[in-house]
Amino acid sequence: MSARGELRTGLVWTAPFWIGFALFTAVPVALSIRYGFTQYDLIEDPLPVGGANYAEIAHDPVFWTALRNTGIFAACSVTLNTVVALALALLLEQKLRGRELVRALVFAPTLVPISAVAVGWLWLLKRDDGLVNTALGALGVAGPDWLGDADWALATLVLMSGWIVGAQVMVFTAALRDVPKSLLEAAAVDGATAWSRLWRITLPTISPAVAFNVIVSAIWALQVFALPLIMTRGGPQNSTLVLSMYVYQNAFQYGRMGYASALAWIQFALTCALTIAAVRFARRRVHTRVGAAG
Amino acid sequence: MLISRRNLGIGLGAVAAGYALWPRRARWEQDVPAGRVALRYWEKWTGEEGAAMQRVVDRFNASQDRIFVVRLPVAETYSKAMVAIGGGDPPDLVGLFSWNVPYFAQSGALLPLDGLDQAAYPRAIWELLCHEGRAWVGVNTCYSLALYSNRAHLAEVGADPERPPRTLTELDAVAERLVRRDARGRLERAGFLQAVPNWWPYLWPLATGGRLFDDATHRVTCDTDACVAAYEWVSATAQRHGRLDSQGFARGFDRSNLSAADPFLSGQVSMIVQGPWMANVARSKAPDVDYVVSPMPVAESVYDPERPQGLLEADVIGIPRGCPHPEEALEFLAFTQRPDVQAQLCSDHCKPSPLVERPADFEANHPNPYVDVHERIVRSPAAAVLPRHRAWKSYSDLLVPAFERIWTGADPRTELAGVAARAQGLVDRSDAAHRAREARG
Repeated sequence: MSARGELRTGLVWTAPFWIGFALFTAVPVALSIRYGFTQYDLIEDPLPVGGANYAEIAHDPVFWTALRNTGIFAACSVTLNTVVALALALLLEQKLRGRELVRALVFAPTLVPISAVAVGWLWLLKRDDGLVNTALGALGVAGPDWLGDADWALATLVLMSGWIVGAQVMVFTAALRDVPKSLLEAAAVDGATAWSRLWRITLPTISPAVAFNVIVSAIWALQVFALPLIMTRGGPQNSTLVLSMYVYQNAFQYGRMGYASALAWIQFALTCALTIAAVRFARRRVHTRVGAAG
Repeated sequence: MLISRRNLGIGLGAVAAGYALWPRRARWEQDVPAGRVALRYWEKWTGEEGAAMQRVVDRFNASQDRIFVVRLPVAETYSKAMVAIGGGDPPDLVGLFSWNVPYFAQSGALLPLDGLDQAAYPRAIWELLCHEGRAWVGVNTCYSLALYSNRAHLAEVGADPERPPRTLTELDAVAERLVRRDARGRLERAGFLQAVPNWWPYLWPLATGGRLFDDATHRVTCDTDACVAAYEWVSATAQRHGRLDSQGFARGFDRSNLSAADPFLSGQVSMIVQGPWMANVARSKAPDVDYVVSPMPVAESVYDPERPQGLLEADVIGIPRGCPHPEEALEFLAFTQRPDVQAQLCSDHCKPSPLVERPADFEANHPNPYVDVHERIVRSPAAAVLPRHRAWKSYSDLLVPAFERIWTGADPRTELAGVAARAQGLVDRSDAAHRAREARG
């Protein structure tokens, strides 16, 4: 078959994707750029307002609160998830009894719908008769009002996000199997401690996996929506209101689709900027093996 | 000859396309009798309230043989209806809250109902159905908020169960005596907390004669002295009960309101501001609770027994613009506005009637023993409604965190000034856009 024929055949077979992508992603995304410069409520014709939406965002205290909350959540949850996932992957690489069961248990939360996870945690974290505070009470510690206290609510959501690390653990586990055993053994023979072997051999070798996990987790964390929506609805005192929720509120509850589009583009720009920065940083610092694919 | 792979593929593709494109009835209209016009009716109610509305629908469907209404329970109807209307696939009828009316009416999302008879509705209810002088929806039950008090608890602290508190001073005095704490000093029972339930943090200015919005000038007025006084009263309540302890106590009921573990029905809060549905929940979940209902207590300067204060809101029913069967939808809507139909529905919901005319035995046969209190508020000249502006939802969402911050000790005047500034901007921008659209024709 000629190159042109191959191209045509390829396009025909991938047409369902391209049509769906154009209809449900490309066109709405393109329209949202336009709507960001209008006042639009889904029913009436969009009313051009120039850059008024972006100017309003700059002076909107709720936006700044949501941005701050999103930033804190992303920074803390990415760090926590990466550390927890790496620790679990290292643990699961040890020759322990019941390792396969533990691996399944670690991955299980990833398979449970987020709404079910959230409702389960709501019961665990109740102030007076939740299991967590009851257990803390048995140890003589007065547990806080995890989701009801504005000083604790966002931290609680971060802690909860550390529970859903199955996918990251899988990536780390695969990467750990690529760490040359000979290098680790040689280092051990030379007297390197376990910490030294981890820091100087294992981590540099799996650094591409670390970079991948950090970038993917950051993108997820910057778009977090369902968890705070179900757990706290953004409260108390807007302490868990995140950008995605604020976009949703404006679009579908306040009928401000134009303003919501502008907010969404700012969120997109921030996510892109952080991702590009992370990729550039990774290019400089991540260890890649030349010819590993052989 | 064997069928080639290519022809087999084409044949299977044609069968799949034929199956997908073959005209068939949607799942929602599969029970519609042949020959009838099927109407899709989106309504927010589920459970007992949904069943009561279904009885109205069944009655209409049995009353004639031309139209068949199918009620579809839909959560957060107003946002989904707006998307459906904007997308060109609206239902024939949609159940909304009265505070949705300005937004839907101003956007042109509903068909106007110029044929509604103003004389059939009490003044405050008519206001709820209208926007800029025109009716856009029919009423479909209404509610007023009142004080529900546990008789046994009142008697226990020496208060007269037949005369619940009428003023804020009386309320605070009785509430203070009703507080019970456990061995650790944490709240076990509260007399009255404005944060239980935390559903209407914007209600309290009514108690001091304040209003959140001036309809005539479109000014946000939550930072006036009367409103500030209301939230200072809220702050003082939190202070007396322990700010964080009472906040945690109140939030503990977030998911148990109107269940058997409801704070009022379970005896953990002795007095609570609630709607008439509380009677419905009480008779099914806690029939032994003995309570009394009275108008919401207010400041001495506002108190007038002939003009009980209270928030009045309504559930409404409208016809979306672009719906497939507007004439048939109007016929069903007119049916719901009949006094006997509203009486049946309101009675099933334990609510007061939203119409001037009611069956003679409406109150006598009503399952809510205190429906007369709710009725008096509905018909009171002092009954208040939520701000009639499309920016209300965003304005009220600013008041929620402000209320929470005030509860934990923030200065009410500063908080309310911040809300007023932001909300006024939202109102002004919305009004400017409306004027610009009108100018464009």
